[in-house]
Amino acid sequence: MSAAIGSYATIGKDAPRRPAPHGAGRLAQLKARYFATPGTSLLTIVLGLMTVWAVVSFVRWGIIDAVWYDPTAEACRTASGACWAVITEKYRVILLGTYPYDEQWRSALIIAIWVVWAVLTAFRLFPLRLRLAGWLAVFAVTLVLMRGGVFGLSYIGTDAWGGLPLTFLVFGGTIAFGIPLAILLALGRRSVFPVVRFVSIATIEGVRGIPLLVVLFFGTLILPLFLPPQLDVDKLVRAEIGMVIFFAAYAAEVIRGGLQAVADGQDEAAKALGMGYWLRMRKIVLPQAIAIAIPALFNDIIRAFKNTTYFAILGLFDVLGATKVALDDPAWVRYGLEGYLFVFLLYFLICSGLSLYGRSLEQDHARRTRRAEQ
Amino acid sequence: MTGNEDAPANLVVSLDRLNKWYGDHHVLRDVSLGLAHGERIVLCGPSGSGKSTLLRCVNGLERFQEGTLTVCGTTMDGKPASLTEIRRRTGMVFQHFNLFPHLSVLDNLTIGPVYARGEPEAAAIARARELLERVRLSDQAAKFPGQLSGGQRQRVAIARSLMLTPDVMLFDEPTSALDPEMIQEVLDVMEELARDGQSMIVVTHEMGFARRVADLVVFMDQGEIIEAAPPEDFFANPATDRARDFLGKISTSV
Ligand SMILES: Nc1ncnc2c1ncn2[C@@H]1O[C@H](COP(=O)(O)OP(=O)(O)OP(=O)(O)O)[C@@H](O)[C@H]1O
Ligand SMILES: [Mg+2]
Repeated sequence: MSAAIGSYATIGKDAPRRPAPHGAGRLAQLKARYFATPGTSLLTIVLGLMTVWAVVSFVRWGIIDAVWYDPTAEACRTASGACWAVITEKYRVILLGTYPYDEQWRSALIIAIWVVWAVLTAFRLFPLRLRLAGWLAVFAVTLVLMRGGVFGLSYIGTDAWGGLPLTFLVFGGTIAFGIPLAILLALGRRSVFPVVRFVSIATIEGVRGIPLLVVLFFGTLILPLFLPPQLDVDKLVRAEIGMVIFFAAYAAEVIRGGLQAVADGQDEAAKALGMGYWLRMRKIVLPQAIAIAIPALFNDIIRAFKNTTYFAILGLFDVLGATKVALDDPAWVRYGLEGYLFVFLLYFLICSGLSLYGRSLEQDHARRTRRAEQ
Repeated sequence: MTGNEDAPANLVVSLDRLNKWYGDHHVLRDVSLGLAHGERIVLCGPSGSGKSTLLRCVNGLERFQEGTLTVCGTTMDGKPASLTEIRRRTGMVFQHFNLFPHLSVLDNLTIGPVYARGEPEAAAIARARELLERVRLSDQAAKFPGQLSGGQRQRVAIARSLMLTPDVMLFDEPTSALDPEMIQEVLDVMEELARDGQSMIVVTHEMGFARRVADLVVFMDQGEIIEAAPPEDFFANPATDRARDFLGKISTSV
């Protein structure tokens, strides 16, 4: 008999209906967010006032009282605002470095090519293969234009290279050589061959234990002492090798994390289909591992871009080094703040671009795996 | 039918006194069995009895320490050549499907033939479409594994293995990760394969399926083959207490 049971359930009969409208208007929402308690209200007011003050004073200094054009730096001396004239006067040195003046169209062309291809890559207008092939071409053209000595272009040694083209080349080279090396190190670390495993672990852990500056000094200053003098490798190349290895050691760990996240069953299924080791890695395991590793990998990639500024310390004129040279001019030496703000803006734009691109790749992957959740 | 056949030419798979240890743990003990061409063996036994390990040894996913394994005349000698040959003769279907989530259904099917065997892509695609038709998924070729139900995924996995026209198909509990309403669609595909004369070794607890398609039911416990008999005899009249006990347990749990 049902009378003996305390539990019960009622049979439903309603058709589906809408939820009652919830939440009050905008104003109430704002109040809940910014003025919920006396403490948060105070914080909102103080931070709000500080923001207003900061914006107002920056606008006055940076725009209203600023000097935009002034080839002799006379007006700047009396102005109370920013002296952006330093940029209009020195932008060629900042962006192109000490590259011979008459040949600077070559550097400018390189910057244009990089920016255009980066934008086309970011919007994924072409298939991956074409994008990568394009980057290969961009590298080749950059080297030919920078170095010259062919096609009637005058030869220009690496000691005269500088500015944004040098920054791009160093960064691009770091990624282009660093990611394959990182993949090899990550796979090596999981290898069944003890020697391969040992070499990979030693490289990764060794390099990660040393500051980048030491790696670079080692490559440019100490390594040549041990190499035979006839093996005269260019200073830029030596520093670049240091950058590549440093980047690869960190990226290898990120990729290893991705490899560990790929289920064992994936590799086994590929084995059962008769696929060999490299084929399984290339077609099955790495595509999944790298997709998983992308957020962390982009951290390292952005860091690699910022690390190009270390070249300034080695006496190579990347954007930061070139800016330092530009600001050595006694007429303009007082306007370092404006000069460096410009460089800051440049780096900020490029790094934000990289970050956005990484995020969009991530979202692509998320969309695909939501479908592919197994 | 039980025990040792004397016609090795007709055997697709033969194991002779196979022994395997994980550390000190003896997981396969003197396992000997032969699968004749065009026949089916159903392997059953309690959890941990070594069924998966045995199946994985047959296609070289696991190594064993003693005994001999021969697949279609190739004896596993630990060298890459024999491993490659044995893998091309065997297809494996896993409990958790193991489809490649980053590839479409069609690419899941063609990747093996095209990249591991160097088959022309057009031919592989044509065969993939035929096989998808056969597992009743012709309309799903462009989808990704994550967009399919469990039963559909397992049927794709079966088609993927069939792409390489294996001499023997190995199934490791192909339906035990599936919701009950999807089990039958997978079993149907497997039964159809059996009717077409595909040689198979199937680890499963689907006893109805075993009754219908098995030529031989092999019962394992603690790494040993305890009993081997045609299904009618095995189910009607298990010879050992352990088999009787096992059958009692799985029939009450269904
Ligand atoms: N990689 C491994 N390392 C150590 N021991 C293992 C490993 N894989 C399996 N074993 C052990 O080997 C024995 C047999 O395992 P196996 O997976 O073959 O059993 P099974 O019969 O397939 O069981 P189930 O029905 O649960 O799938 C078990 O005792 C298991 O714990
Ligand atoms: Mg198992």
